[in-house]
Amino acid sequence: MSAAIAVSRRLALVSLPTLLLLAAALVTALLAIGLGSVPISPAETLQAIGHGLNGAELSGNDVIVWQLRLPRVALGFLVGAALAVSGGAFQAVFRNPLADPYLMGVASGAGLGATLVIALGLTTLWLPLFALSGALLSVFIALAIAREGGRLPPARLILAGVVVGSILTAFTTYLLLQSEDRIRQVFAFTLGNLAFAGWPQVGRLLPYVLIGGGVLLLLSKALNTLQLGDLTARSLGLPVERLRLLVIIAASLCTAGAVSYAGIIGFVGLVTPHLVRRLWGADYRVLLPVSAVAGGTLLVLSDLLARTLTRPAELPVGVVTTLLGGPFFLYLLRRQKT
Amino acid sequence: MNKVIFLSAALLGAAHATSYPLTLTDDLGRKVTLKAEPMRIVSFLPSDSETLCAIGGCGKLVGVDEYSDFPAQVTKLPKVGNLYQPNIEAVVALRPDIVIVSKYGDLIQPLTNAGITVVAVNPETYEEVFSKTIILGKIINREAQAKALIIQMRRDIAKVEILTKNAAKKPTAYYEIDPTPYTVGPNSFIGVLLTKAGAINIIPASLGDFPKISPELVVKSAPQFIFGMNLAAAKARPGWNTIPAVKLGRVVEDKALDQLLSRPGPRLPQALAGLAKVVHPELFK
Repeated sequence: MSAAIAVSRRLALVSLPTLLLLAAALVTALLAIGLGSVPISPAETLQAIGHGLNGAELSGNDVIVWQLRLPRVALGFLVGAALAVSGGAFQAVFRNPLADPYLMGVASGAGLGATLVIALGLTTLWLPLFALSGALLSVFIALAIAREGGRLPPARLILAGVVVGSILTAFTTYLLLQSEDRIRQVFAFTLGNLAFAGWPQVGRLLPYVLIGGGVLLLLSKALNTLQLGDLTARSLGLPVERLRLLVIIAASLCTAGAVSYAGIIGFVGLVTPHLVRRLWGADYRVLLPVSAVAGGTLLVLSDLLARTLTRPAELPVGVVTTLLGGPFFLYLLRRQKT
Repeated sequence: MNKVIFLSAALLGAAHATSYPLTLTDDLGRKVTLKAEPMRIVSFLPSDSETLCAIGGCGKLVGVDEYSDFPAQVTKLPKVGNLYQPNIEAVVALRPDIVIVSKYGDLIQPLTNAGITVVAVNPETYEEVFSKTIILGKIINREAQAKALIIQMRRDIAKVEILTKNAAKKPTAYYEIDPTPYTVGPNSFIGVLLTKAGAINIIPASLGDFPKISPELVVKSAPQFIFGMNLAAAKARPGWNTIPAVKLGRVVEDKALDQLLSRPGPRLPQALAGLAKVVHPELFK
């Protein structure tokens, strides 16, 4: 039995869709490095990457390729991967296909943190710290409220998360109205922004994604068992409540990291696991890693469109992900009905 | 000099007197009729408050929005909130003859319902600063003063322009209005002043007046001046330490100047002079 599952899993991972996805990821990354508001030839791009790798003195277009575009692509990939993996994990833990990484009020908490930085007139260097604290705080409040005895029933968690999120959003709105000249900055944050991605940001986000995502990947087998229902999972010896708590914290860590460095980017975390489930099936040991690659690719692609469609102006990347992801999600919804 | 102009303006005033009822089309495209010269005015725009005062209408102001802070007299007036959080009751209690609003915010309906005449006068572009000054002059029966003010403003602007026009070198500049990043195109109000100050805006006009731009563009354009942010923030951005403005420490954060530049009103020449002194200090020794 378990041998058969192992074989089918291996088959799922070496299937045609996987190869296509990896090809898409590679092509997207190359395009995203090659294209931008400033036209740079492929030869020059390669040269710039070479200079960067050698640690040579950078000048002219080298700076744009090595210090602006490459980290932007890397950060976009990490953020997309983090959102998609935590989206998949949230959907598993709540057994609800509508769950997304922002469900527990993570986005609202991060948004409030960011607004505080901007409203208090602090330097934007504080942004990640405040956004992260806000995100984690909202998760812990929601968890504390939802806890019933030793249990965390999914329905209560969702309700608590939504309401905590609404309350925090109300605070944010109030702060915004008090400092209307800064509204656009916070507004832009709520739409997501990769414009100032640099290597330091990539380095700082990496631990969140590795730790949070790593824990989720390690728990993917348990998440499969959880799909059988709480009762069955418990009777199979799974510590359901502790698992749920651990998954929520790990997924929130991923999400908060992503929000801190890229703002709130909608739909990647909701849509990607859906797409992956349709093509690769619902085995979380496959779904989570494939979602990471697919989510990363989707966000890099969205950001590429955001900064090239109207170049040298830019669109907010969250607008692009939502315009790509939203209609696709509605299409899925429509197909599932019939 | 100023006195002479105002004196002659005052004398001309009789000839320029507005005849009421006055009907005009405001910035929301509405036809507004004023039955008589307004004696009690509430202004919801700081730039309009400044203009009203500069043309001799300060005494008619009975209330202003919370951001109106110039000239000093204005700060003593009752505050009536702002365009987005107006205190309608406070406005009504002041029994104004007219309320001057922006085209933004939805003040028309509630104030009209309260039986108050509302007019939207909303300078946005460089030239509108002058055309709206005339309109405000007409509204409060101070058209001659409005014309005199414009002549004075144009003269003060020309004084700066004459200097900067002949500048040996025109440095390139980037003006950031918020760090996401949004900037100003050359045809915007601030963009026009930047050009008049003897700088070359790195933003192409085709992007519009207030575009969100790619940081790549700024790095590529390598501006010699950066306005609207501080040096530390500019240094913290990936790749920006290669920009000449950052290398040479020509990243200018001047809150007072930014404030002046955000007021399309009578202090426009001062804003221009402030900008020009930063861009071309050698011309102002």
